[in-house]
Amino acid sequence: MSETVIKAAPNPETKKKSQESGLLKRMIKNRSIYFMILPGLLYFVIFKYIPMSGLVIAFQNYQPYLGIMGSPWVGLEHFQRLFSEPLFFNILSNTLILFFINLLFYFPVPIILALMLNEVRINFFKRFVQTLVYVPHFMSWVIIVSITFVMLSMDRGIINELFVMMGFEKINFLMSTEWFRPMYVLQVIWREAGWGTIIYLAAMAAIDPGLYEASRIDGASRMRQIWHITLPSIRSVIVVLLILKIGDVLELGFEHIYLLLNSMNREVAEIFDTYVYTAGLKQGQFSFSTAVGFFKSVIGLILVMLANWLSKKAGEEGIY
Amino acid sequence: MKSTYRLSRMIILFILFSLSMGCSPAAKDRIADDSWTRISMMANLHTAQVPAETIELLLEEKTNTRLDIQWIPDGSYDAKMYASLATGTLPKALYLKNAASFSSMISEIRSGLFWEIGPYLDSFPNLSLLKQEVLDNIRVDGKLYALYQERALARQGVIYRKDWADKLGLGPPETLEDLYMMLKKFTLEDPDGNGRNDTIGLTDRSDLIYGAFKSIASYHGVPNEWGFVEDVGTIKLKPEFMFQEFKDTLDFFRRLHEEGLINKDFPVTSKADQQELLIQGKAGVYIGAMGDVVSLEARLQEVNPDASLDVHNRVNGPKGPKIWASSGYGTVVLFPKSAISTEEELLKILEFYDQLMSPEAANLIYWGLEDTHYKVVDGKAATLGTHNQKDKDVKPYQALMVGGFSTIPNMLVPYYNLEVKEKAERLIVDNEQFLVYDPTVSLTSETFNIKGNRIMESIHSAVYKYILGMIDEEGFDRAVEVWLKEGGQQIIHEFNASYLKKQAH
Repeated sequence: MSETVIKAAPNPETKKKSQESGLLKRMIKNRSIYFMILPGLLYFVIFKYIPMSGLVIAFQNYQPYLGIMGSPWVGLEHFQRLFSEPLFFNILSNTLILFFINLLFYFPVPIILALMLNEVRINFFKRFVQTLVYVPHFMSWVIIVSITFVMLSMDRGIINELFVMMGFEKINFLMSTEWFRPMYVLQVIWREAGWGTIIYLAAMAAIDPGLYEASRIDGASRMRQIWHITLPSIRSVIVVLLILKIGDVLELGFEHIYLLLNSMNREVAEIFDTYVYTAGLKQGQFSFSTAVGFFKSVIGLILVMLANWLSKKAGEEGIY
Repeated sequence: MKSTYRLSRMIILFILFSLSMGCSPAAKDRIADDSWTRISMMANLHTAQVPAETIELLLEEKTNTRLDIQWIPDGSYDAKMYASLATGTLPKALYLKNAASFSSMISEIRSGLFWEIGPYLDSFPNLSLLKQEVLDNIRVDGKLYALYQERALARQGVIYRKDWADKLGLGPPETLEDLYMMLKKFTLEDPDGNGRNDTIGLTDRSDLIYGAFKSIASYHGVPNEWGFVEDVGTIKLKPEFMFQEFKDTLDFFRRLHEEGLINKDFPVTSKADQQELLIQGKAGVYIGAMGDVVSLEARLQEVNPDASLDVHNRVNGPKGPKIWASSGYGTVVLFPKSAISTEEELLKILEFYDQLMSPEAANLIYWGLEDTHYKVVDGKAATLGTHNQKDKDVKPYQALMVGGFSTIPNMLVPYYNLEVKEKAERLIVDNEQFLVYDPTVSLTSETFNIKGNRIMESIHSAVYKYILGMIDEEGFDRAVEVWLKEGGQQIIHEFNASYLKKQAH
């Protein structure tokens, strides 16, 4: 498309220039419309970009009473400390492992659930099930984790009592390093899977029913229809959501993990967020924890750019 | 169109309404004139809700002060404190909740963020009654920056089911062996007589200090955090977990856990759940603050009117009875320079605290209103009304107190109609006969301040894992090696240097 435009233009240089002045002219002409994006723009500048300047304390030895202007500059000292701490690789790998587990086991669940819901014929039943699967999303992690605690406890926890009745050994879910990750991802699925179906269901509703009719005439089975019509139609939605998901990489849910964390599973459960909280807010090491948070954001940015690049390679749209 | 107009009008009204709500505390009708001192403070809230204002208003009137108290729930207090430190919104009186919070604030104190108040104290009649020995514990480089709230030096002891012990023919646990036997019999010999094996001995929680662990460690003769060892003719400081006695304590706990004499989930049990096990008659022994016996017994008897509790403190180990000592203070109050600009203002605020230490004000915030919350019996205060009522009206204000029973002359001491509470108070005093002090309280280590808490986590985790049988002694020693490598060696070095420097003086 763009190639033909350039070919058609006799001189690309002048064309570009006139386009630019055209843009300015258009902006002046439609100033009232452009004026309307001002609040949004201001919001981002004031609440997102200006606060970012606070990142500078990652390079200082920030002392609250000296303020940002007065605190001594230490350059990369905090980053050096971070990379030299034996704990660093532990936290990095915990964070990445949890992220990949999340991507691998949680991400497909809402898609499958949405496909299943989409195939339900009776509208009333479909609505009913939809509502039921949304509900967990509105429960706070505190409640979910407490329920899990009560159920998995070694003393009279219902699951462990069941194991004993069936003649198995009790399993120490809450305090083991092996069970932390499965427990984490199952809780995420339990809470978010239903809510995650909304966008997919909306995308599925937009599929032209004619396609299904045509395929039925050609003798396609239900499974064939899903494979050849539904899935390809929502592919771009899946890709966008995947990129967005990767963008949250390191948002693994501070609250959730902090609640599950205890001294027994710390070696697999400590992630950047919980570490920033303990080091920064509970022990008052502002500069160091800012450096940790900064580093985490850089990893997040790299992963998003990677995912976007990959999706463009694969012929999808990407998010920018 | 019309409906959108109406909607937007409603939204505006709503916003205006919520704004006026937000402003209302300032508009609260209080008898205040401009001559009153205004003090903003951040205080630790131990109850579920913010207290009723009755007592605050009376206190304001008594002291000619306008108080602006920001109540912060206990669980998030430290985080909130650092947040206001970082954002420069410290109140005029900053309460730090305990010795640990205080020691993490030392570098800020050194850097001159707070007023030094030492020189002023003598000019206030009540403040000058604060004890020198305790003030010495909160000095930083020999200078005094804080007022303290009194705490008994050692409140820890054993609380146990008297009725169960009587039934099984057990006396109070005089030795560690007795304690073990008591836990074992409470678990195996059906003390509640319901024919089912559904009781345990000890109920504990995820707290290695204020839970049972540190007290039982003291019984075993473990030093308090740091202890001295002979090292080629010289005396050196070493952390408690490098002592053999510490490993004996670990073995003791491991045995309890193996034999099912302690709640299996104790590394993730909260204080509320821990107490619940005792109250519901599932567990028979609670090791912690002995003063808790009153509320524990009251709640226990709501479930089972025939149950009764007793307290005991002298548990003999290899070194006789021992108990770890706290530093004699709980909460401390600091005065940020950022909020108090002049010396004159500081003196006014100190004057408020001086008045707060008068018996009338102290009785008001500790006991509440006479004839509503307490009545005077034989010159002592006996509480009236329910626990709930007291929690709502009075208890939160106790957090503001400076000093305590031993420093405020004529403050009402509690009248106990419960024998067991009286005994608990007596044993707390008795504990002072065999205290184990933490030798590093007055020493400093820069590395400890920076990452002491962080690297201790690997030790805590190893302690739990050893008790649960997930690692062996070798595994524990490895955790200690890690601690040494990650900065522990440096901390040992710095504390010893600081100790030598202090000895030389």
